[in-house]
Amino acid sequence: MKRYIFLVLILFSRNLQAADLKAVMEQANKAYTSQDFSKARELYEQILGAGKESAILYFNLGNACFKQNDHIKAILYYERAKRLAPQNEDIDFNLKIANQFVVDNIEQLPRPFFSRWWGNLADHSSADGWAKSSMLFFILFLVLLGSYFFSRSLRIRKLAFYASVFAGAVVVISFLLAARQYNCIKDRSSALIQCPRVTVKSAPSSTGTDLFLIHEGLKVKITDQLEKWREIELADGNKGWVTDSCLVRI
Amino acid sequence: MLKKIVLYIGFLVTGLQVCGQETRLEMSAPNAVSAGDQFRLTFNINQKGENLTLPDLSNFDVLMGPSYSSSTSIQIINGKTSQSSEYSYTYILRAKQEGTFNIRPGSIEVNGKIYQSNSLTIQVVKGQPQTQASQQSGQQAEDENADIQSATVSHSEMFIRLELSKQQVFKGQQIIATVKLYANPNMPLAGFEEVNLPTYEGFYTQDIDIPQQINFKREVYHDKIYQVGVLKKTVIFPQQTGAITIKPFSITVLVQQRVRQRSFFDDFFAGVQTARAKLTSDPVTVSVRDLPSPPAGFSGGVGDFKLTSELSQNEVTTNDAVTLKLNISGTGNIRLIQSPKLNLAGDFEVYDPNATDNVKATDGGLSGTKTIEYLFQPRYEGTYKIPSIQFVWFNPSTGQYQNQSTQEYELKVLKGTGNQSAEVIRSVRKQDVQLIGQDIRFINQDEISLKSKGYSFYGSPLFWLVYLLGSVAFAVFFVVYRKKLAENANIALVRNKKANRVARKHLKTAAVYLSKQQSEAFYDSVLKAFWGYLSDKLSIPVADLKRETAIEGLEARNVEPGLIQEFLSILDQCEFIRFAPAGGNVAMQEMYDKAEGVISKMEKQIKR
Repeated sequence: MKRYIFLVLILFSRNLQAADLKAVMEQANKAYTSQDFSKARELYEQILGAGKESAILYFNLGNACFKQNDHIKAILYYERAKRLAPQNEDIDFNLKIANQFVVDNIEQLPRPFFSRWWGNLADHSSADGWAKSSMLFFILFLVLLGSYFFSRSLRIRKLAFYASVFAGAVVVISFLLAARQYNCIKDRSSALIQCPRVTVKSAPSSTGTDLFLIHEGLKVKITDQLEKWREIELADGNKGWVTDSCLVRI
Repeated sequence: MLKKIVLYIGFLVTGLQVCGQETRLEMSAPNAVSAGDQFRLTFNINQKGENLTLPDLSNFDVLMGPSYSSSTSIQIINGKTSQSSEYSYTYILRAKQEGTFNIRPGSIEVNGKIYQSNSLTIQVVKGQPQTQASQQSGQQAEDENADIQSATVSHSEMFIRLELSKQQVFKGQQIIATVKLYANPNMPLAGFEEVNLPTYEGFYTQDIDIPQQINFKREVYHDKIYQVGVLKKTVIFPQQTGAITIKPFSITVLVQQRVRQRSFFDDFFAGVQTARAKLTSDPVTVSVRDLPSPPAGFSGGVGDFKLTSELSQNEVTTNDAVTLKLNISGTGNIRLIQSPKLNLAGDFEVYDPNATDNVKATDGGLSGTKTIEYLFQPRYEGTYKIPSIQFVWFNPSTGQYQNQSTQEYELKVLKGTGNQSAEVIRSVRKQDVQLIGQDIRFINQDEISLKSKGYSFYGSPLFWLVYLLGSVAFAVFFVVYRKKLAENANIALVRNKKANRVARKHLKTAAVYLSKQQSEAFYDSVLKAFWGYLSDKLSIPVADLKRETAIEGLEARNVEPGLIQEFLSILDQCEFIRFAPAGGNVAMQEMYDKAEGVISKMEKQIKR
């Protein structure tokens, strides 16, 4: 009974306040803990429907989908969670398990080492995390610069100089990393295949030559589009055209 | 004399020995006869007796008897004499009717004592058709091809059979398989050739020792009397389930046959010749049921077992070997039992258990003991519990699994003298964590901060504002602070430069008061001139300037102590005169000159 009242409440109040959303979140977590996954999923989706998002929300929703054996949706939500919190190890772990249900085994093309290192470094935090650290170090940099200019002691001035150079470098690097992560979030070119089986065509028309067959849950990159056709690129570098209806953007 | 006594004693002893022999009355008869046939019932006794009392023989006709015979043998071995006598009474009986009859013990009186014999069971079957006739016909057929010396014997005359103790068993349950040769009692057997005993395919086998000499016994089979010889006895354990067929096996028996003389001139002794008869058995099928689903720790044992255990020591030093001995005894497939597991804590170096078995195959099946020795070395001192070992086996007679556990032992380990650490490093064994299942990680239940979709702090106005405001604030602070710093620097410099002039100005006003003879105002001006001068020179605000701070400031600027003393005396004098006006014009003029001198000297000595 209590549950229905709650659901009705949610349905009728479109503009939920943040505090209400938190209560819904708690309710959903409770439902998940008591193994009521369908209810948990419903509640998590309510929060998403209110136009809010968070890495934890996507992660929990992905878990609820996984427990209902909706592995494709689970992968989708994990991927979305990962975009917001690339540093979270739990998301990676669950995504790896969910990806075991994907039929296709694609070998990743190797990336050059600097690109890998840069990516790994960037994935230690989210865009906002890097932005905040860049900001803090900027303030620290200004303070150090000020003490360099106005300190009377020679030792303090020397120290402040080197420290400010370091802080400046950190500001620049974390700013660049924040920019990279931000672009990753804004970049909507990643997508999942949502049709059980898709034949990838060589041209954006149904008469094009069949190139290869892929299955649901595979992560692809959209590189071009023409009307309802999208050119996709697999992790191993293969390219082809599929219809929009088979893709869901991460 | 002594010798004689010894001799008598010797005689007595031998006499006693004879008397000491146990008196036994033994009754013997064939255990199977056919009705109407004659047979012998014999009583044997090793002492001379009298008044033999026959048991009730109403089921038999006593045709003759008793016929009495005796034999005595005396043996002298290495001067020792032993004597044995055998007396026998024989009756010839005839069975009246079919059936199984029990003959109660007979008795005999020996030296006034009555001894009883054993009892007997005789099975009487229907009278046999005259076997002689069939033999004759066989012989006639034989005559034609006597050269190849082979005989065909009808199945009822002689056959071989595999006898199994059970034919419905569980997998692993023991069966006693006996290979038996059945032959007509009148058929003389000479020997065997080409003995192909059964190969028990699908079975684990263990032979039972039987005497080399085949002992024929009478036995009734399908209402006929046969002489039966046991050729082989084996304990077999089925290792498969389902119907297992033991393939037929064959044996060639040499039979002595009497050959009718073809003519009067034939050799008289050639009347008997040996013929070969090949016998083949029927296949035998055993139906084997699988065991019910085994519980954890099932050792594979099927049978009836008992478990005992023993710990070699209860108190040891580290790195001493300790043995836990496990004894499994009973009947069943002892050899096939796997050693149960001993789960010791990681503080022990455990070696593979050593199992030995001592098994005997008898008519009752395979029985014996299996000894399993668990050897282990404790590494650290302390008191440990040796956990109990569970042994699980299947009991086919109840059709259920049984288990028995050994007791728990307590082992006290004292510190040994050996190099412990080295020992430990050598024997550290790492084991991978076993993954049992895989599942996703649990949901994150932290307090969450929800934000609008697509919102990012990076690139938000607030983010840029922080940079902008930070830079602007820094620039403003930089400019303002710098300006103020420059101003401060100028004021100090100007005051320093002007100090002398200001002092002289004050002195001038003092000079005016001197000319007007206003002593109080004069001394006031002199003091003002000094304090103002020092305040400017030492960059100390007038309010903070005192005697002590002034001295400190002057000393810090390396002013000569003599000058400081002079300055202090002027200060003292001025203040003294201010409160106690005295002296005249001359003193005032003197003070004025002195003050002027001190200031000009200070001006020279205070370095900037």
